[in-house]
Amino acid sequence: MLRRTVTTGLAAAALAAPLVLGALPAAAQQTTLRVFIGGQQRPDVMRPLMDLFQQQNPGVRVEIEVGGATSEAQQQYLTTVLTSRDPAIDVMLIDVVRPAQFAAAGWAEPLDAYLGGTDRATVLRRYLPGYAEAVVVDNKLMSLPAFADAMFLYYRTDLLQKYGLQPPRTWEETVSHARRIMAGENNPNLQGLNFQGAPIEGTNCTFLIPFWQLGGNLVGANNRVTVNNDAGRGAFQFWLDAMRTHRVSPANSAEVRTDDTRLQFQNGNVAFAVLWAYGWNLFQSEQSQVRGKVGVVPLPTFQGRQSATCIGGWQWAVSAFSRNKPDAAKLVQFLASGVASKHLAINASNLPVLPDLYRDPDVLRTNPWFEAALPVVITARSRPVSPRYPEVSEIIRTNVNGVIAGTKTPQAALTEMESRLQRVLR
Amino acid sequence: MSAAPAAVATHGEAEIKINRLWLFAAGAAVVVNGMFPALWVLLTSLKTEGELTRVPISYLPQDPTFQNYLTAFAAQPLARFFFNSVVVAGLSTVLTLLVSAFAAYAIARLRIRWKNVILSAIVAVSMFPLISLMVPLFQTMRALGLLNTYLALILPYVVLNLPVCILILVSFFSAIPRDLENAAMIDGCTRLGALFRVVLPLTAPGVFTAGIISFVNAWDEFLLALSFTSSMQMRTLPVGITLYQGEFAFPWPIISAALIVAIVPIAVVIVIFQERVVSGLTAGGVKG
Amino acid sequence: MSSKSPRRSIGDLSEGTLGLLMLLPAILLLCLIVVYPVGRLMYISLFDWRMSLPNAVPAFVGLEHYIYALTDDPKFWDAVYNTVLITIITVPGALVVGLGLALVANLPFKHRWPTRLALLLPWALPLVFAGLIFRWFFNYDYGLVNDILQRLGFGKVLWGTDPNLAFFTICLVIIWKSSSFMAMILLAGLQTIPRNLYEAAKVDGATSWQCFWKITLPMLIPSMVVALVFRTITAIQTFDIPYAMTGGGPGGTTETLAMYIHKTTIDFLDFGYGSALAMLMFLVSLGATTIYLRIIQGDKE
Repeated sequence: MLRRTVTTGLAAAALAAPLVLGALPAAAQQTTLRVFIGGQQRPDVMRPLMDLFQQQNPGVRVEIEVGGATSEAQQQYLTTVLTSRDPAIDVMLIDVVRPAQFAAAGWAEPLDAYLGGTDRATVLRRYLPGYAEAVVVDNKLMSLPAFADAMFLYYRTDLLQKYGLQPPRTWEETVSHARRIMAGENNPNLQGLNFQGAPIEGTNCTFLIPFWQLGGNLVGANNRVTVNNDAGRGAFQFWLDAMRTHRVSPANSAEVRTDDTRLQFQNGNVAFAVLWAYGWNLFQSEQSQVRGKVGVVPLPTFQGRQSATCIGGWQWAVSAFSRNKPDAAKLVQFLASGVASKHLAINASNLPVLPDLYRDPDVLRTNPWFEAALPVVITARSRPVSPRYPEVSEIIRTNVNGVIAGTKTPQAALTEMESRLQRVLR
Repeated sequence: MSAAPAAVATHGEAEIKINRLWLFAAGAAVVVNGMFPALWVLLTSLKTEGELTRVPISYLPQDPTFQNYLTAFAAQPLARFFFNSVVVAGLSTVLTLLVSAFAAYAIARLRIRWKNVILSAIVAVSMFPLISLMVPLFQTMRALGLLNTYLALILPYVVLNLPVCILILVSFFSAIPRDLENAAMIDGCTRLGALFRVVLPLTAPGVFTAGIISFVNAWDEFLLALSFTSSMQMRTLPVGITLYQGEFAFPWPIISAALIVAIVPIAVVIVIFQERVVSGLTAGGVKG
Repeated sequence: MSSKSPRRSIGDLSEGTLGLLMLLPAILLLCLIVVYPVGRLMYISLFDWRMSLPNAVPAFVGLEHYIYALTDDPKFWDAVYNTVLITIITVPGALVVGLGLALVANLPFKHRWPTRLALLLPWALPLVFAGLIFRWFFNYDYGLVNDILQRLGFGKVLWGTDPNLAFFTICLVIIWKSSSFMAMILLAGLQTIPRNLYEAAKVDGATSWQCFWKITLPMLIPSMVVALVFRTITAIQTFDIPYAMTGGGPGGTTETLAMYIHKTTIDFLDFGYGSALAMLMFLVSLGATTIYLRIIQGDKE
C-alpha cells in the first residue's frame, strides 16, 4: 500500500511537469482494453474490428498497441511487460508456437471459465483441427485461433506453360521441371527452386517438411527424440542435392530469409518457391513483375509419400495480469469469430481458421486460391509443442543452417540435434 | 582554396601544390568512406522495390520517385515520431551535459576521497548488458509512474550517457592548466564561476563531443524506447521505423525514406556542433 | 549538514563538500536508475528461474550457473571465443582507422564540414539499420560488393555462407561503424593540442613525422584511453551487427556472448542463467577497463 501511495504521488508530480505528455486514463466508468499486436499484423485492418466490438459493447473502449514489427522485438516487449506482471496489456496476439510457453510461464489466462456456459469442445469444433488442438495446453484453453498460415509451393504459370509442364506433385517432378526450365531459359539469374536456409524460425520447416514426408517423427514413443535416422538424412540430402547436384537451388541458400524468397520470386527470378501464404497478395500487386503469372499448390512430397506442411498462424490470448479479464475474454471470443476471421481474410488475406470461410464467395472473390488451400491447412502439422519450443527451434535451425552452408555434415548435425533435443524435450 | 597557414610557412610553391593534392585525396577518401552507405540509402529511397532486385543492380534510380517518402509519412505518424525523438534526445543531452560537467569537474579538480572508486563505479554502469536490466528497469519506471512519458526515456538515457561523457570531460578538464582557473578565482570568480567562464569554454571541443555523443546515442536507442513508451503517440524514430516492416516483408525503399528522415537532423546537428567545436577552440586559443 | 547552514555562498564551501555536491546529481541518478536493476541481476543469477517450467518458483542454486557456464557449457565458450576475437580485431582496427580519419579531418580544409560530417555519419546511423544496409551490400545476388567484383572480372563471393568470410565482413562493418566514434573523440583531443608546441618543434627542425610521434601521439593518450575504454566495453557487448547480418550463422559460427545472453533471457526465458551470463560479461568488461584505468593513472604519476 505504501508503495502504491508513493507511486500515485510521484505520478501526480510527474503529470504536473510539462515534460509528461502520457495519456491519462479514460473516464472512470469506461473499461479500456489494450490489445497488443505486431506492426506486421495490419493494425489498420484490425481497427475496424475493434470499432465494431466497441459499438456492440458500450462502455468498453479498445486501444491497439503496436509493438516492434519483428517477432523478436515483440517477444522482447512482451517478456518485459509480462515478467513485470504489468497490467498494461489485456489481450495479445501470439505466434502459434508460443501457447505452451505462455501457459508454463503463467502469462496467459485460461479461458475455460469465460465461455459463458458453452463447453470447450463445442467452441473448438468450429475451427480447423490443427488450430483447435494448438490452443489447448494441459487440458486448459490458453487462447483462441486468430488466423491460419502454412507453407505452399508457388510457381510461375507462364514458365510451366511455355515448357508444357503440369504443376508438380512430387519433389522429384519439381526438381526435373526446374532443371528443364533453367536449361530452356538459359538465364544465369533464374533460380529453379528457392527455399529458406538462414538461421530463422522458418528454416525449421525447411527441415521438418521433408523429414515428416519421409516418415520422420521428431518425438516418438516414450518421448524419445528420433531424428538421427533415414528420414533426417533424407531431408538434408534432398536440399543438398537440390543445391549441389541438380543446381536448381541457389548456392547462397544458407543466407536466404523468408522475405528474400518473396522478393526474388516477385521480381521474376525464381521458377518455384517454398513460401508462406503472405506471398500471394504481394505477387499479385502492381509492383510485381509476375502479376497474373503465379500459381500456388500444396507442397510436393516424395514419390509415394504422404504430403505434409508446416502449420503457422497466430492466436488471441488474455493476459493473466489484465484487470479486465471478463471483458478481455469477450473481446477475444469476438476476434476469433467468423465475422472477424472473414474480415481478416478479405482485407488482409489472412487464411481463415474456420473451414466454412474457404468456400465463402466474398472471401474467394479476393483470394481465389483459398479453395485449394483448405486441404493444406487441414493436414498441416504442428512443430513440436513444448514450453521450451524456443530452445527446440534454436537447436534445429542452427544445425540446418550449418548443413545448408556446408559447415557441418548432415550426420554431425543429426547427432547433435538428437542429443540436445533429447535434453530439452525429455 | 586558401593555403593552410600552418603547413605552408616554410614550403615552396610546388610543394604546396602537391600538399593540396594530398589534402584533397585524403579528404575525399574520408568523405567516401563515411558517406557511401548513407548515399546508398538515399538512392534506395528514390527507387521502386522492383528495381532493388534487378540484375545487374542499378546504381542510380532509373525512375526516381518520391512516393516512398509520401508513403512513409502516410503509413505512420512519422512527424510525431520525429518530434518525440527531438524532445527526448535534446532534453537528455542538455541534462547529461550539466550533470556530467559538474561530476567531471569534481573528479578532475577537487580534492575528494574515493575519487577513483567513484569514477570506476560510474564507468562500470555501462558494462552491464542493457537487455539483462530491462525487466528491473521497467519495474523501476513503473514504480515511479513514468511509463509512457518522455521522462521514462530521458532519465535512463542521461544515466547511460553519463559514463562516457564524464570520462571525456575528466580527460579534458585535467588538461587545463590550473593557473588559468586560479587567476580567475583571484579576480573574484567562485569555483562554479570558474567552471562556467574558464574551464568549459576552454574545453569546448570536449563538451561538444560529449554533447554529440549523448544526442546521437539517445536519437538511436531502440530497446528502452520500445518497452517504456509503448503508446503510438510516444514512439521515437528508431522504433517507429521498424513499424513499416510487414510480417515477413521488408519494404526497403520505404524504410530507406524513413531512415533519411531520421539521419538528416543528425547530420545538421553534427555540422552545426562541429563548427562550434572549431570556434570554441579559436576563442580558447586566443585566451590561452 | 554543513551545506544547509545559511548565509554561506557556494564559493565558501570546503572542496570536499563542494565536490560531493557536484557529484550528487550524477550519483542520485545512478542510484535511481541503475542500483536496483543491477542488484536484482546479481540476485537472480543465484537462482534457477526458468519461465518455461510450469509454475516456476525460483530456487536458490548459489554459484551453480557460474560453474556450469565456466566448466560445462560449450556454447558459452564458443560465444566467448567469438566475442574476444571480435574485440581484439575491431578495437585496434577501429583505433587505427579512427586515428587516420581524425588526422585527416583535422587538416586545414577550407570547408571543414564535409569531412566532419563524413567522419560522424557512420556512427550516427542506427546500429540495427547499419547491419541491415551492409547485409544488403554483401548480398550474393543483389549486393553492391559482388556487383563490383563481377564488373572487375572476378566471380561472385558467398559472403554469408563461408564462416570465415562471414566473420570477416562482420568485423569490417564493426570497424567501419566504430572508427567513427573513435575518430570523434580523437579529433576533439587533437583540437586541444596547443599549436605553439608544433611551431616550437618546427623551429627546432623537427619533421612532420617526428612531430607526430613526439607531440601528437603522446598528447592524444588521454583521449585514446577514453575511446578505448568505451570501444572495448561496446565491443564486448557486440550484438546488433552480427544479429542483423548473419543472425549468428552459418551454423552458429558468428554468435557473440551478447547474442547468447539475449537468446537465453528473451527467447528461452531462462532468467537465472541469463543473469549469470550477464554478470560474467560484466566481469570481463571490468577486467579490461581496470587495465585501461591503470594505464591512465600510471601515465599521470
